[in-house]
Amino acid sequence: MKILVTVKEVATVEDEFEIEGTAIADQYLGEDLNEWDDYAIEEAVQLQENGVADEVVTVTIGPEDCEQTIRQALAKGADRAIRVWDDALEGVDLLDVGAKRSILQEVIAAEDPDLVLTGVQSGDDSWGATGVSLAEELDYEWAAVVNHLEHDLDDGIAAVRRELEGGVEELTDVELPAVLSIQTGINEPRYASLRGIRQAQRKPLDVQTLGDLGVDESAVEGAVTLTDMYEPESESDVTVWEGSADETASELGELLRDKGVAP
Amino acid sequence: MEFGLTEEQQQIREEVQRFAENEIVPQATAFDEEETFPHDIVDQAAEMGLVGSSIPIEYGGAGYSTLDTVIIAEELFSYDPGIALSILACSFGTEAIMEFGTEGQKERFLEPVAAGEKISGAAISEPDTGSDVSSVSTKAEKDGDEWVVNGNKMWITNGTVGDFFVVLCKTNPDAEGRYNGFSQIVVESDRDGFEADKITGKMGIRASDTAELIFDDVRVPEENLIGTRDAAFMQQMQFFDATRAGVAAQGVGIAKGALRNALEYAQDREQFGQSISEFQAIQHKLAEMATETEAARNLTYKAAWNVEQGNDVTKLASMAKEHASRTAVEVANEALQIHGGAGYVNDFPVERFYRDAKITQIYEGTTEIQKNVIARELLGKGF
Ligand SMILES: Cc1cc2nc3c(=O)[nH]c(=O)nc-3n(C[C@H](O)[C@H](O)[C@H](O)COP(=O)(O)OP(=O)(O)OC[C@H]3O[C@@H](n4cnc5c(N)ncnc54)[C@H](O)[C@@H]3O)c2cc1C
Repeated sequence: MKILVTVKEVATVEDEFEIEGTAIADQYLGEDLNEWDDYAIEEAVQLQENGVADEVVTVTIGPEDCEQTIRQALAKGADRAIRVWDDALEGVDLLDVGAKRSILQEVIAAEDPDLVLTGVQSGDDSWGATGVSLAEELDYEWAAVVNHLEHDLDDGIAAVRRELEGGVEELTDVELPAVLSIQTGINEPRYASLRGIRQAQRKPLDVQTLGDLGVDESAVEGAVTLTDMYEPESESDVTVWEGSADETASELGELLRDKGVAP
Repeated sequence: MEFGLTEEQQQIREEVQRFAENEIVPQATAFDEEETFPHDIVDQAAEMGLVGSSIPIEYGGAGYSTLDTVIIAEELFSYDPGIALSILACSFGTEAIMEFGTEGQKERFLEPVAAGEKISGAAISEPDTGSDVSSVSTKAEKDGDEWVVNGNKMWITNGTVGDFFVVLCKTNPDAEGRYNGFSQIVVESDRDGFEADKITGKMGIRASDTAELIFDDVRVPEENLIGTRDAAFMQQMQFFDATRAGVAAQGVGIAKGALRNALEYAQDREQFGQSISEFQAIQHKLAEMATETEAARNLTYKAAWNVEQGNDVTKLASMAKEHASRTAVEVANEALQIHGGAGYVNDFPVERFYRDAKITQIYEGTTEIQKNVIARELLGKGF
């Protein structure tokens, strides 16, 4: 069985930052492996260690800069990686779900995996739609927000547990090939071992252009444009009193009365 | 000339940072206060391969070079020196086995250390033997096919948590010349007559275990002798280049950690209506701390790189060790000063860095001994 894991390098932001136009100024940005993808990689690697999967392949849409993040996934145990980039993507401001779907769909067509694991969402853009939309396009079965997966995958069925609102959980059987979007907490992602990091340097990392995949350049021009970015005004404050309950209880009472919470 | 790290080295650095931030930092104060060995963190670190990372791959290690291990030490020490030492010292003493051990000894002793199943130690110092290693009086006498070890070792890292120790013993009291007649013998802690008394009340690196070892007619098989009988003094000295580069890296790490904490505090703390980082006096402190740290780092990397190339770096390794340990102490001192009163209590890590820094000027050859070595090399005197 082959598993394909989508891996994204996301932007991280410092606590204090400034916005320039429709973006956060560069000096406040860092980069990291998308948290949800870390769990998806771990799940795939565990499936491989348990003898269920034969091969774990990662796919990333991103420039050369993000190879460090891809190597991180390889160091944790993925077998090989595909990175898709193209001059046509260089100028795209906002890569929307449709564009990602068009690209990933072709990678999947070429790789023909039995199982595709994506993160529920990415920590920076938070579209939260790539996995499901991809399944729809491919006509694969899918399950979103998966927080447990049975590791036998007998008879081509993935038995999954999904997280619903309000702490309710749902058990579902999904027929393979399928796309599962993985929720944090499904497992405990490992740190890359020193040996893993060493081996990762030698694992294949294949770079493909839109042309290689047969994706038309127009597919990446999304329908969505970013029009503004701002920090919302805070609507509430926090008040902290230091001291014992005796000293501070009456102050709290007064505040609650002031705010109209207590009569 | 090439000053950059490889992609792999950068990757190691980042993964160690992640590990330290998530697993070490939240527990650092507790282990310092309680003065206990962080077994769980060490186990996790072993899983990641941070324990015994220089042990060759065929014995389960990562086969990392001196420069790689210097990078790891720098990162770990920049988050918490006590826990960092607990992790990295798990393979103390194994250098001798790697270099001089037989195939059988390597399998017996290196594999369990690399797997995180056993902890080793190096026992050289004694109550009356510190800087003058040639005054070692712990003796081992041959009796049939066994060595019988008697004596005391002092200040031994991992003393009460270690499974075995590479012990420098006098095996030929009649040998001529003060550097002859010593052997390195492995003593396991479960042998009859072995005792370890934990030393408490240390000023710093309190998570790391330190003990006095007492050998009372401890019998070990003759296969436990490492390398050449009676020639261990030279065997021991051979590793000082690498291990001193390692302690230099600890100093760089401590300076880096103290600077990181000072930078953060200086930007947060406001006095006279502005952040204290706006005052030139504070800015100059930060600038000097960063510059000294970078200088120590370059000296350390250069020493490590030369060890890796197989060059003779005795002078350079001592320079790196002396300079980096002094930098650690000075930078930690200034970092505390920047914290003002808040730096004088353990609400902030800087108080710990200040206490932890000092050890780097003492172990693995004191500052004075490093200067003796440097001067001896400069003046072309043998030792
Ligand atoms: C926390 C900790 C962990 C340790 N871990 C280990 C370990 O795992 N294994 C081990 O074997 N040892 C270990 N040691 C011991 C350490 O290596 C010694 O403390 C160190 O070598 C100094 O020896 P000493 O303490 O006897 O000081 P001394 O040698 O008595 O030195 C006292 C002072 O005299 C100075 N001095 C001595 N000789 C000269 C000279 N020729 N010229 C100028 N000045 C001189 C010294 O620099 C120092 O300032 C550890 C020590 C500590 C504190």
